[in-house]
Amino acid sequence: MDLNFNETWLHKINPTLKLFTMILMFIFVLFVHQINWLINLTFGALLLLLVFSGHPKKRVSLLLIPFLIIFISTSSSMILFGKGDTTWVKWGLVHITEESFYRGLHLGFRALIFATFGLTFALTTRPVNLFYSLMQQVKLNPKYAYSFMAGLRLIPIMIEEFLTIRNAMKVRGVEQERGLQAFYFKIKSYSIPLLSQSIRRAHRIAVAMEAKRFTGERDRTYYYKLGFSLNDGIFVAYLGVMILLGYYLSVVWPLFPVGDVRY
Amino acid sequence: MIQLDNLRLKFPGDGQLLFKDLSIHIEKGEKVLLLGPSGCGKSTLLQVLSGIIPKSVEVPMKADQFQQPPSWGYVFQDPDSQFCMPYVDEELAFVLENLQVPRIDMPDRITALLKAVGLHQIDPHTNIHTLSGGMKQRLAIASILALEPEVMFLDEPTALLDPQGTEDIWETVKAISADKTLLIVEHKLDHVLDLVDRIILFNHQGEIIADGDKNKILKSYRKTMKEQGIWYPGVWQDYLSSRPLKNLTPSHTDVVLHLNHFQGHRKKKPFISVEEATVRAGEWIAVIGENGAGKSTLLHALMQFIKTTGTFEIHGTPVKKGKRIADHLTFVFQNPEFQFVTNSVFEEIAYGLRLEKLGEPVIRKKVLELLDRFRLTPFQHHHPYHLSMGQKRRLSVAASIVKGQPILLLDEPTFGQDSQNTFALLEMLEDYQQAGVTILMVTHDRNIVEHFATRVWTIKNGLLSSDVHVRVKEHAHA
Repeated sequence: MDLNFNETWLHKINPTLKLFTMILMFIFVLFVHQINWLINLTFGALLLLLVFSGHPKKRVSLLLIPFLIIFISTSSSMILFGKGDTTWVKWGLVHITEESFYRGLHLGFRALIFATFGLTFALTTRPVNLFYSLMQQVKLNPKYAYSFMAGLRLIPIMIEEFLTIRNAMKVRGVEQERGLQAFYFKIKSYSIPLLSQSIRRAHRIAVAMEAKRFTGERDRTYYYKLGFSLNDGIFVAYLGVMILLGYYLSVVWPLFPVGDVRY
Repeated sequence: MIQLDNLRLKFPGDGQLLFKDLSIHIEKGEKVLLLGPSGCGKSTLLQVLSGIIPKSVEVPMKADQFQQPPSWGYVFQDPDSQFCMPYVDEELAFVLENLQVPRIDMPDRITALLKAVGLHQIDPHTNIHTLSGGMKQRLAIASILALEPEVMFLDEPTALLDPQGTEDIWETVKAISADKTLLIVEHKLDHVLDLVDRIILFNHQGEIIADGDKNKILKSYRKTMKEQGIWYPGVWQDYLSSRPLKNLTPSHTDVVLHLNHFQGHRKKKPFISVEEATVRAGEWIAVIGENGAGKSTLLHALMQFIKTTGTFEIHGTPVKKGKRIADHLTFVFQNPEFQFVTNSVFEEIAYGLRLEKLGEPVIRKKVLELLDRFRLTPFQHHHPYHLSMGQKRRLSVAASIVKGQPILLLDEPTFGQDSQNTFALLEMLEDYQQAGVTILMVTHDRNIVEHFATRVWTIKNGLLSSDVHVRVKEHAHA
């Protein structure tokens, strides 16, 4: 399962730095209560994803669909049922107020910006590089780093096995059964062979790794040396400018005539 | 080089010792083949000699004296579970990192290692997942060469490979092992015999029954090896000469399967095409061709696992999407475990009948009959996963065929099986064929093609390129 993409400067950022900056951004966004500012930040993040991720627009848009659904579902429940004083619509349980409307939108954008950053990170970071970087920059124990990398290798193998089992179930006629009991039976027939194969495989890989003299100790050399570069500076600067410019624009040209959305 | 005296070893939970006072001495530069029936503990012994047991796999053991090899490398059986990194270069780098080789030396070392095992034509940064089984095993050899071992342990490295892959592996091992000590466990002796000079033969109890020059052992213990299911050279001749003559010509004439401009699609592209083919009841069709030519895809297309176009008729009725194809065709997968859905051998066979809502006495009668035919009666209360390789395979066939489908598709059913199990399975399939069941079987084994098939389909680049009815071979004693 190899995806084709162009390597951009976002791919060349030090993965550890990228990870921690993103975590900081997540925390920061939690404290942004101005809806206009948050919307500007979201656009900044989307720009980063759409223009610089190096993946085809079609793929990125497809991946964004589930997150748009999250946007709609999180904001709509707050808009329709949230508290507020200035009533716009009242119809049975549904009670839309000005305050709940803006708060709903705010929540939706917060979910969207989280998703955008997360997707940007996932699309521009090779797990292998991330773990090499974590071992080198923050001295992650190689035992854990290599366990994760070996585990990631099992995923495509498991997908393949899942498809084989599905075909095997068709042959056996498991698929034609209906009802709750059959559902439980199906779960069992898929999970037991998948798990038993994976456990066996994981054990064999572990033995093979030790047979190749892996000790899990820290004194080792690294095939990939991951350091810092100008790209890291650009990335941090981009986020900095995004925050400041976003704030400035939200003051000069506010999209909505509200400030703090908290109630 | 290696000296082990009076080894005693027992797996927790087993009733008896796997090894009782076993001693083994290996000199420097010797090339030794360990032979014995499956389950006799050959692989366990390799793991003890290398130190994997008890260092990585904890098993209680004790020995009077044990001199371990100074440096060693171990090639495992399963190509898919001995790598921890996604790319070829990263996997080799993993070993070099463990040895603390400086980073600047790594690319050259990686290139040299790949060259040593004949993988220099591929880009080092290739995804391991895209390699064939044979290439993966050669990569495994390359990664242990990085350890610069004096002793190499090879634990059935070709068990899951096709004939071409097997040959490549032994060529590679031959090329790199001139000054090394080799300890090999292997069931298929065809190519490995040129390589070794000493054979150690085990029995079911894990005792050494013979140890010495390969030619002597091969000559004097032929009968033992036959009983143990070892693929020694000439096993097919011995088998065929001991077998009663059978009339393999299909005696039925009704058409069961008709294909016309039939295509199987994957990712919206045709992956397998059959111009025109008519199959009659009781035919045994061997589907052959190179790796990746589309043999398995053809079976998948017939089973409707993938999208198909063109004419596809069973008994004159077109197969329609959504219809229960499994009532007419049945499929036996390479890995039998994927097909098991219940907790006991009896229930496994009964499953298909229970879906039909048949009465208990009918089910019981039918299941007992199949258990008997596939020699599984003593194990009917076992969990399917607790069976041996050969028993699992027989169970998967029995469970697939229980509804009496007229067409049986098999994807390399003899893969990784010892000779005894292979012959037993082939004879059971032959009985079905005599009864009018049509068999389509993907195989790499020339002997099966020659001695069992009545018709051979060759797949080349996703096309059924040749369709030959083979004359029935007379395997007379003369």
